[in-house]
Amino acid sequence: MSDRNSTALLKVDNLSVDFGEGTPQALSNISFSLGRDEILGIVGETGAGKSLLARSLLNLLPEGGRFTSGDIRLEGETVLGISEAEQRKIRGGRIALIGTNAKALLSPVETVGAQIARVLRAHRDCSQKEAWKAAVDLMVQVGIVNPERRAKAYPHELSGGMAQRIVIAMAMVAGPDVVLADDATLGLDATIQVQVLDLLVKRCRELGAGAVLITHDLGIVAHYCDRVAIMKEGRIVELEEVGKFLAAPKEQYGRALLDAARVRPTPMVAKVEDPVLEKQPETPLLDVRRLLKLFPIAGTPDVVRAIDDVSFSVKRGETLALVGESGSGKTTVGQCLVRLLDSDGGGITFDGADITTMPAAEFRAMRRRIQMVFQEPYVALNPRWPVKALIAEPLRLDPTLDRAATDKRVRQLIDLVQLPAGIAEVYPHQLTAGEQKRVGIARALATRPDFVVFDEPTTALDIRVRAQIIDLVRDLQAEMGMSALFITHDLNSVRSLAHRVAVMRYGKIVEEGDTEMIFSAAKEDYTKALLAAELPVEQGTAQRDRAETRRLAGAAV
Amino acid sequence: MTVAVANLGVYWRAIPRPLRIITSRLLMLVPQMFGVMMVTFLLVRMLPGDPALLLLGNMATPDTIAAFREKLGLNLSLWEQFVHYVGNALHGDLGVSIFTSNPVVTDLLERAPATLELITYAMLLTILIGVTLAIISVVRAGGVVDIGSRVYGLAAGAIPDFWVGLLLIYFFFYILGWAPAPFGRIDTFVSPPDTVTGFYTIDSLIAGDLNAFVSSLGRLTLPVLTLAIVNAGALMKMTKTTFADIYRSDFIRHARASGLSEGTIRRIALRNSLPPIITLVGFMFGFLLGAAVLVETIFAWGGLGQYAVQSVVNSDYPALQGFVLVAAAFILIVYTVVDILYELADPRIRV
Repeated sequence: MSDRNSTALLKVDNLSVDFGEGTPQALSNISFSLGRDEILGIVGETGAGKSLLARSLLNLLPEGGRFTSGDIRLEGETVLGISEAEQRKIRGGRIALIGTNAKALLSPVETVGAQIARVLRAHRDCSQKEAWKAAVDLMVQVGIVNPERRAKAYPHELSGGMAQRIVIAMAMVAGPDVVLADDATLGLDATIQVQVLDLLVKRCRELGAGAVLITHDLGIVAHYCDRVAIMKEGRIVELEEVGKFLAAPKEQYGRALLDAARVRPTPMVAKVEDPVLEKQPETPLLDVRRLLKLFPIAGTPDVVRAIDDVSFSVKRGETLALVGESGSGKTTVGQCLVRLLDSDGGGITFDGADITTMPAAEFRAMRRRIQMVFQEPYVALNPRWPVKALIAEPLRLDPTLDRAATDKRVRQLIDLVQLPAGIAEVYPHQLTAGEQKRVGIARALATRPDFVVFDEPTTALDIRVRAQIIDLVRDLQAEMGMSALFITHDLNSVRSLAHRVAVMRYGKIVEEGDTEMIFSAAKEDYTKALLAAELPVEQGTAQRDRAETRRLAGAAV
Repeated sequence: MTVAVANLGVYWRAIPRPLRIITSRLLMLVPQMFGVMMVTFLLVRMLPGDPALLLLGNMATPDTIAAFREKLGLNLSLWEQFVHYVGNALHGDLGVSIFTSNPVVTDLLERAPATLELITYAMLLTILIGVTLAIISVVRAGGVVDIGSRVYGLAAGAIPDFWVGLLLIYFFFYILGWAPAPFGRIDTFVSPPDTVTGFYTIDSLIAGDLNAFVSSLGRLTLPVLTLAIVNAGALMKMTKTTFADIYRSDFIRHARASGLSEGTIRRIALRNSLPPIITLVGFMFGFLLGAAVLVETIFAWGGLGQYAVQSVVNSDYPALQGFVLVAAAFILIVYTVVDILYELADPRIRV
């Protein structure tokens, strides 16, 4: 026992990595240690080197990468410079990695059960049958119902959350000492994220394993981790117990991250004296009545009711947030509004005209007034066009603009979304995720629309970028007085943006009301569950108790 | 009505996926085959040259030509000729070759196995060479095999097969004397085994005739090698591209991080590369049936390709039609098998 305490489970000592002579260090002088039953959070923005660190710990650097200094010790023994066969025993056997985007981590042509069993067989001497049984047993433990049948499923037949559990099972199957979770819950719904992380942490505790949670979400850190390391540009700038960090970050950068994550500006309330709203409260700009959208299921007479009798309205200058988990039908609603999909029933009235029955040619003119910002900006941007052409494209809807006027408008728009003027000549792949979002927004705003649908505008963005995008959208709305529908599962952003919130589940709106009312006094259990799944950037009592126990037990810091 | 169709759909879904794939593909085969018969019949009729005139020579009188045309059924309308043709074909009668005077079926049955044996072994060797080189050059990128295979890939696309065949004969038969003479499928002094499959190598084993087996295997070596050398280059290049992409993919990286051995990882990557490989192999196999003609000629193989060229030159309609029909049927079967394998190999395809 004393042995265990004196030697850390995993000790990283002054580790540096670069990509060849003369290149800047991708990781520099990283040092930390991890004890048994300890959870270390590693936080940083895109490009901080978090994922590279995870791969370094497995000695699986990307092509061209090399260690320039330092050592990694697992229970006192180095994992670098040992034979390939010994390294293989460590990978998955003693140090297991859980990556982002589980579906891409599974071989698409093999059943998931076989893939879990295969990892076990790589580390334990057991028969095919025993391994399969172990895989199925483990699937139960990671919360998969009907595991015998699921084990025979292929990855494409599983949801994202389910696939993530499979990857966790793959990591856990050989009973590792250290678990590395590299943004393991990125892109999952909040409720699923909590389930997956709860399960991950529980399994680690049961195994007595140490875990490293790599994330950009300080809520996760506050909720699950014992200590946190803040990474920036390949360095650990701060390493501290979570409680102390949250109370008083020592470094400027840590404080900036924490502030950005905690941004919860004064909630939007439709004030009575608001001049815009007061002028015309009677006729809403957009009125959706009993909207219906069905998708047939191939080979069966059944249909999926993606939108099932949904009604709502948006006044001029108002923002409505449509909140729900993936599969709730919220994006489908957005697509029906801009007629990317045709609805199967009900009506959408925009400024007095029913746009569901409008002929396509007539609606084309209407598109100038109703615009959409797409979820994945990179996919929605033509990779062969520079930014200026991308932004100018929607302007072609307006025949009165000549070339000079178009150029001028493009410059204005770039300025409006707070991008540097030089970005006009740049191509989409050279942009960061935040810049891509801004270009997407600029495209949508180009025609000065009255109504904009934002589809998941803040998903998968770094903390600070997310805060910037939220600020931008708020400013734009204040300046332009447009109405908006905000489709999201990120409740934090809703609170500071929307006047009203509608919660969607299984194609229906289950609850609707003013933002503050939803946040402070939700009526429906489902809304409460959604709210509870948000991880606030504060430690709860359970975490504080655990920290106290650890302190008393004298755990190494 | 729609409900009934939907119900059928439910029953259809209940069938295991592999069975669904095979059934649907086999059902497709019937209309496809009929279409092929129609098209080949019409195409052959459009070739220039009057076979009656050709057979009887320049000295024939108009009367004898007319009588001969009558005999061949060339006077009937196109439609009647077609109905006739389909009816006969269904009874295994593809007419009599104008040139060899044998029933076309007899000619084809004699020659088709020769070509099939040749291209089957050639395909197997092509897969072995192409896929192996591709995997090694991806796994050991920048190594000797990688660089060598690049040169080979370039050369294999540029050198014609008959030239490779002649070179092989020159070195291995003429200079070194290792290979048997390039005259047919089996040594003149060895009697061919009784026909079971039509493949001499297999038939001789069935008959327990080791002499015939060794002889036929020896005769196969050079032509098979020729075809494999020429075709493996394309397969290698395609496999390399596919395999390299998959070898760098996230799930392979994850497999490595899970501590799987390199052998297992290569197997996973290969398993994932299968669909495009299956497609190209199927295409090559169908293509070789006729395209091996130059190699067949050089090695005096007496195969289908040679027969086809002969019948074109002689305006031998029944023979040509027979060949086109067999070739089309063969390609159809190969493609059907390819489709089935492809869908089996990739569980993401809905059937």
